[in-house]
Amino acid sequence: MKLYEYEGKILFRKVGIKTPSSFLVPPSKNFPQGKVVVKAQILEGGRGKRGLVKVTENPLEVMEQMRKDGIEKFLVEEYVPHEYEFYLSCMIDRDSQEPMLAIGKGGINVEEEGDIRTRVIPMERGVRSFDALEVSKLMKANPEEVLVVMRGLYELVLNYGAELAEINPLAVKDGSLIALDSKVIIEDNSLIRIGETLKSLGIHVERPSAYVELDGDIGIVGNGAGLTMATMDMVKIAGGSPADFLDVGGGADRNHVKESMLKVLSNPKVKKVIANIYGGITRCDEVALGVVDALKEVNKPVYIRLSGTNEEQGKKILEENGVKVYDYVPQMIGDALRS
Amino acid sequence: MNKNTRVLVQGITGREGSFHTRLMKTYGTKIVAGTSPGKGGTQVDGIPVYDTVEEAVKEHEIDASIIFVPASNAAEAMIEAADSNVKLIVTITEHIPVVEALKAVRYARSRGSTVIGPNCPGLIVPDETMIGIMPSRAFRKGKVGIISRSGTLTYEVAEVLKDMGQSIVVGIGGDPIIGSSMLDMAKEMDADPRTDTIVIIGEIGGTMEERLASAIARGDIKKKVVAYMAGMTAPKEKRMGHAGAVVYMGMGTFQSKVEAFKKADVKIAKTPYEIPELVGP
Repeated sequence: MKLYEYEGKILFRKVGIKTPSSFLVPPSKNFPQGKVVVKAQILEGGRGKRGLVKVTENPLEVMEQMRKDGIEKFLVEEYVPHEYEFYLSCMIDRDSQEPMLAIGKGGINVEEEGDIRTRVIPMERGVRSFDALEVSKLMKANPEEVLVVMRGLYELVLNYGAELAEINPLAVKDGSLIALDSKVIIEDNSLIRIGETLKSLGIHVERPSAYVELDGDIGIVGNGAGLTMATMDMVKIAGGSPADFLDVGGGADRNHVKESMLKVLSNPKVKKVIANIYGGITRCDEVALGVVDALKEVNKPVYIRLSGTNEEQGKKILEENGVKVYDYVPQMIGDALRS
Repeated sequence: MNKNTRVLVQGITGREGSFHTRLMKTYGTKIVAGTSPGKGGTQVDGIPVYDTVEEAVKEHEIDASIIFVPASNAAEAMIEAADSNVKLIVTITEHIPVVEALKAVRYARSRGSTVIGPNCPGLIVPDETMIGIMPSRAFRKGKVGIISRSGTLTYEVAEVLKDMGQSIVVGIGGDPIIGSSMLDMAKEMDADPRTDTIVIIGEIGGTMEERLASAIARGDIKKKVVAYMAGMTAPKEKRMGHAGAVVYMGMGTFQSKVEAFKKADVKIAKTPYEIPELVGP
């Protein structure tokens, strides 16, 4: 679950990381005189490149402009002049299975340029002053302040369920550190532990969705992440263009299949849908009923492969309703793309 | 692992636990006991239920445990099994918070236990035993070993390879932190005389495939390896169903995995249906 910039900064302040003084719009209406930064609060990245972060002396006018692009929420921040900018983040390193800090020169292209140093810090000992001393030399910043920021990000990963806690840019001003932006992604699984705490801090909590929208025109539905991804890839290899990734998960029932199918079918970009179902704990008859229910509401061509538990009943239901069923996935994809 | 492996089911009275206990038993798995706090003294399908693992191991010899306990208590269950010296712990449960899974996996390792999963379909030795939730129709005894981060895609590949049959199939799990890596499992299969060829089913996210590829390039794995990678068309920083199928900081992209395997001279199937041809006769 990705947080808005202002929500990430709520967590930053909670763990002692300094942020510029700021006003969230709405509800704020009055702002200090002079230079401020207006930042659109959206979950997509690349705001800088899209002109959605602006330095101005007239925030009301800038927000009015951005509202025309459909932006509804803003953060108006004091402008902080500074000497240097850095990238600093913390996440769990999957190889060493320990938290890892990543440090680099800040900026928009930090990930592409790949000039990032990583430092695994074992949970057993946590962040220590010597870790900070090393980093402070690079940043030309006060080691004690560096320690606070490093420990803060580390704590967000270990105690607040962050799978990524990132500051870019982290500004250095007279040796002091200020987080100008935040990118915090809360691990969906940790919401059972941390959800209530986040809510009490004023952070939105929403159920994660398995739906990922893409650019193409062929809807993709599958059960199981691997099978769904493989289906998407095969469509692409065969010359098609997937419109989404939607894994209905294990043991999906009639209603869940119907809702999932409708989500894909009602996307106006989708011209047809390819569904790949391998029934293990999922029952093919339940899937078939859900597909038929969905098609009664939005009718578009559906190509479906059904195999496994209760396969015969599932096929019968679909064929009686005029939906073509396949056994062999490459054949289904071939037919779908030719039509 | 074979037909004599004695299995404990943790969370045996739950919906998933009782359902799959029945299926495993039907397949021939030697299930000797189950646990469920507060249900000690009862039975599921004739299998005695205990409150704790400690009580179960007092009464039974146990080689492996399979965990169906819900996410909020699953890490506890792993630690409990490790504490009673269960040597193989298979965690089926999905949605365990990653920091909890990490602590449990590390604790189990420090106690000398091997963890498979979390968020995995388990493992099967066709015609002998299944410690997992796999549909038995997909498998047949043979000489191909399969290591996979996926569930249904594994069954699909097993079916595609049904003519050749499988020696052992392991779903290692779709989470970012798991107990046994692809390399760990490949080493086991490399040393196992029942396996001729190893099939790898990987996906984007993490660098487990890359580490396996380097080990193959170094000559640490001697047997023939064939690989398939899912997620060619996945956008970055989007999670593709599995908690672990996400690319951060440019690590573990489809391209990086394919290149790593190419460097190690591992044949890569473009689609799952090309795998049998690459495995060969």
